[in-house]
Amino acid sequence: MIIALESAVRLAVWLLLAPLLPGVINKVKAWVAGRRGPPVLQLYFDLARLWRKSVVMSTLASPGFVAGPAIAWVALAGAAMLMPLGPAGGAISFKGDVLLLVYLLALARFCTAWAALETGSAFGGMGAAREVSFAVLSEVALITAVLALSVQTGNITLSEMLSLSVGSGAMLLAAGLFGVLLAENCRVPFDDPNTHLELTMVHEAMVLDHSGPPFAVILHGASIKLLLFAVLLSQVVLPVGKLSPLAGTATLAGAVLAVTVCVGLVESLTARMAFRRVPLILTASFLLCLFALLLALKGGA
Amino acid sequence: MTTGELLLGAALCLVLGAALGPWFPRLWLALLLAAATGALGAALPMLAGAGPPEWEWRSAFAVGGEPVHLRLDSLSALFLVIVSFVGGASAVYSSEYWSDDTRPVSAPAGRLWMSSMLVAMGLVLVASNGLHFLIAWELFTVSAYFLITLERESRAARSAGWLYLAASHGGAVLLLGFFAAIAARTGSWDLGPMRDHRDLAPLFWLALFGFGVKGGVFPVHVWLPSAHANAPSHVSALMSGVAINMGIYGMMRFSGWLPVPAAAGWAVLGLGAAGALLGIALAFLQSDLKRLLAYCTVENVGIILIGFGGALVGVSHGDAPWGRLALAGALLHVWNHSLFKSLLFFGAGSVLHATGKREMSQLGGLWRSMPWTAGLFALGAVAVSGLPPLNGFVSEWLVYLGLFDAAASRGSAAWMLMPAAIVMGMSGALALATFVKAGATVFLGAGRSKAADDGRECGMRMLGPMFALGSACLAVGLAPVLFWPAISRSIEAWRPEWAVSEAPAPIITLGWVQAALAAVACVAVAWLWRKRARNGLRRAPTWGCAYSAPTARMQYTGGSFSGIVASWVPRISGFSRILRRPRGPFPSGATWIEEFPDTVLSYAIEPMAAIVLRVSAATRRLQHGRLQFYVVYLLSGLAVVAILVWIGVKQ
Amino acid sequence: MGSTMNLLIGLAMGLNLLALGSGRLSAIIRATAVQGVVLGVMPLLLEYTFDWMVALVALVTVAVKGFVIPSLLRRAMRAAKIQREEEPLIGFVPSLLLGAGGTIAAIAGARMLPLLPEHAGTLLVPGSMASILTGLILLIGRVKAISQVCGYLILENGIYLFGLLLIHSTPLLVESGILLDLTVGVFVIGIIVDRIQRAFDSLDTRKLTVLRE
Repeated sequence: MIIALESAVRLAVWLLLAPLLPGVINKVKAWVAGRRGPPVLQLYFDLARLWRKSVVMSTLASPGFVAGPAIAWVALAGAAMLMPLGPAGGAISFKGDVLLLVYLLALARFCTAWAALETGSAFGGMGAAREVSFAVLSEVALITAVLALSVQTGNITLSEMLSLSVGSGAMLLAAGLFGVLLAENCRVPFDDPNTHLELTMVHEAMVLDHSGPPFAVILHGASIKLLLFAVLLSQVVLPVGKLSPLAGTATLAGAVLAVTVCVGLVESLTARMAFRRVPLILTASFLLCLFALLLALKGGA
Repeated sequence: MTTGELLLGAALCLVLGAALGPWFPRLWLALLLAAATGALGAALPMLAGAGPPEWEWRSAFAVGGEPVHLRLDSLSALFLVIVSFVGGASAVYSSEYWSDDTRPVSAPAGRLWMSSMLVAMGLVLVASNGLHFLIAWELFTVSAYFLITLERESRAARSAGWLYLAASHGGAVLLLGFFAAIAARTGSWDLGPMRDHRDLAPLFWLALFGFGVKGGVFPVHVWLPSAHANAPSHVSALMSGVAINMGIYGMMRFSGWLPVPAAAGWAVLGLGAAGALLGIALAFLQSDLKRLLAYCTVENVGIILIGFGGALVGVSHGDAPWGRLALAGALLHVWNHSLFKSLLFFGAGSVLHATGKREMSQLGGLWRSMPWTAGLFALGAVAVSGLPPLNGFVSEWLVYLGLFDAAASRGSAAWMLMPAAIVMGMSGALALATFVKAGATVFLGAGRSKAADDGRECGMRMLGPMFALGSACLAVGLAPVLFWPAISRSIEAWRPEWAVSEAPAPIITLGWVQAALAAVACVAVAWLWRKRARNGLRRAPTWGCAYSAPTARMQYTGGSFSGIVASWVPRISGFSRILRRPRGPFPSGATWIEEFPDTVLSYAIEPMAAIVLRVSAATRRLQHGRLQFYVVYLLSGLAVVAILVWIGVKQ
Repeated sequence: MGSTMNLLIGLAMGLNLLALGSGRLSAIIRATAVQGVVLGVMPLLLEYTFDWMVALVALVTVAVKGFVIPSLLRRAMRAAKIQREEEPLIGFVPSLLLGAGGTIAAIAGARMLPLLPEHAGTLLVPGSMASILTGLILLIGRVKAISQVCGYLILENGIYLFGLLLIHSTPLLVESGILLDLTVGVFVIGIIVDRIQRAFDSLDTRKLTVLRE
């Protein structure tokens, strides 16, 4: 009973807090540019409105057009439930859960890309092709980062892997994971979430044909993914799990906020880069994770 | 009935099916299904632990001068299950796909060769005598050749068959050497556990490549893509889902029975990693649906070998427990790969049956006319991409657990196993891209040709086997713990020291989590579907950026989908690009052809074959048909023999 | 001391990779300049006591490698109106992977060398080998003269790091060697840049092949 209640509270926290992050990023961007910007809660309003709207579906789209976003959302929420939250740990924790998390993210990618191709639109194809191709490199970086964490702690359970900070390699790993965060969540410099030019979009081009509740589910899923990566990154650097519950929660919240502000600053200060340069940056992220892995291996020997 | 009676019954059914099958298709199907049931009845109790752990039968009756010795243990039973299950499924599928009405000549022949191939694979699995093993192996090779070339009118099928036959016989020569060397060192052709013969260890290399040719191991996989792509689809499913497993069986069987050299684990791991990465990269770049699936087989064999190599490394590192996990993953992946790969080949076959096309750039929008096939193909695509909650993820997860455990222990093995884990991550992401491309280009969007618009759903005898395979994929994914006894018993047969009875705790939890995820996903889909209907739904044409005359050819094709990854391929891989841009104010046409041939085949095998051919052509000049010269040859041959005899006598 | 030095050399190795991965000439020049400064202060860290001679050498090195040469290069870049490396002979991703592989190999390989115990724990030797390798990759893989000059400078930094191994045994020799090296470097680079600029109004070395005969 208590476990069910605890899981429900945890899920509610994830689902309710996630849309805050894009709002914070937009606020930071507006602040740097000297504008007032949209309210921090803008995404909540958008989601509420989309949820009430009717749906326009392409005549070509199969039921997968609706099923894809739903399954992707479930996968992302499931991944969020696996992610430990500081001293509270994860909802379910077992050996190898970290791999389930990585592959749930992949499942979400599969479903989003599949739904993007449903309409037969060239833009959907463009976005999906870019997403899955760049993901090849970011997946390598992510797996390497997970390896570094497991070598450092001698464990492959998420809650154990994140309870210690990685030590000397932490900064390298954090930099590498930050690159993965930007790429996986389609932020500048990999993709511009605010662009209105279909030819240069990645994630936005994939969801161009969605509308109404399915679109709301996609947007909400994307914000869960962003929060997930921010939490992961915070716990890689800070030993949140070892603090007392109150201090741990406060530290985690502060760190997530700091990561979000960093994303906003990166977005304000850099331009998006040409597509052919994306592999270079992702390779650099991979190399950072690889060096962290080697440091972890050497540190133990 | 006892195990022996069941197996005998199955074999008799198959032989009877081979004899009568060409004339009585229904009787053949019934006999084949009876045989499959019999073999399953023999194998399953052994795997479940209900029957005896091993069945052995010796007879004084001699074949080829050797007494018959048959044996079925849990390892061979694991493979026998696959042979019977997928064999039965593909027999049912073929009864509609390659029926007598449409193929009056090749369908009867197909029934004969399919029975003989199945009986040969069964014999390979139970033979416990080197000579009989080789005979069964040869029968299996030859039957597969005739099945691949069933469609004799097609030039591509004929040349694929020849390449297969040549490659298989290259492997068979190595195997002949392997078994002959065992017989020479032990004094008998009889096979069985002989780990004490340390001097047999180097023979592992012969077995690795001899069986590797059949198993589609990189870099001796060269025959596989064209053979699997050009064979009839039920044969492709049988080849990809079952026949390559015979090669893997051979490697596992003889690395379990014989001692292995110290470097064996590293070699297997390296070959597996190379195959996993290059196989799936080439699969992603293909534009032919069946060729894509064939290259994906090379990838999956690579994953199996990574797990198997991890196990071999584990053995050489003091029976490390992570080796057992990796082996469990490899064995489960053997099952999973057969299930989803034959499902996908059946799906491709249905598409081919309905439209007559394999080229993905001419398909599209088939979900409307073939909804069941589309759904089942999508299921197979999720499974083969190794995504939860289906079976592909469970086995890849077990292999990962082995590799990560090894890395976390920071031993000397970590250095080699970590790159394998990274390669597996990369190949997983590429597999996802590959199957999004394959599924979406074929089944989604609008049809790209008239044939694609005129597709129709296939009948129940083609859909039924696909449903059976799809539900098996789902079952392994949602309740992996049910299948654990089979895996743990096979591990025990491979290495008795690694026997554990109960399932590890994480796999039980994983099963629950996967089942819960699947249930929640179903609820979420239903909910969103209802919400969509309630909010009001409008159907409209796809937005074309205000372009008023959109056509189906404006869609992204498979080639454009993989264009980004294609641009990463280095020039030395030998791909070719032909580009003719539209020119002038009224361009007449443009061309963009991209081809990714098999690098190993075109750079290593073909030049070598060319040299062999040139040497052979040179010696052919001796064969000119002039009688006078033949008499000269005869005389000189006699003279040489005489000189040899003379030298021998003098010594 | 040892950990500060390792940190600096680690930074220099990171700058190597940055130089390999960036296509903008100004970024390569900046990476080279920062690496020059980072490595220029190394002699101060290696000495146990403060020494005027060493301090002077360090100051000159920092000034020349960090400011004089980079400003020369930047001026040449402006004069020739080129901004970036467009089509390198070895692509950016391959050269980055090569450089990373080389760095790992250098660290692994340096363990096998018979080094003095005081040097065994430091990154001096691997850092030096990695820099030499990076310089070579830049020299081989790039077509613009300015990237090649940067490659030469990075290679030279590697040799300089190797020279630091001897600073305790033959201090004066190493220090004068460093100064001599700098002088030659400045002259050579100045002359190269000047000549190319005057002769071709461009810094593309592929156009230099007409001087073959």
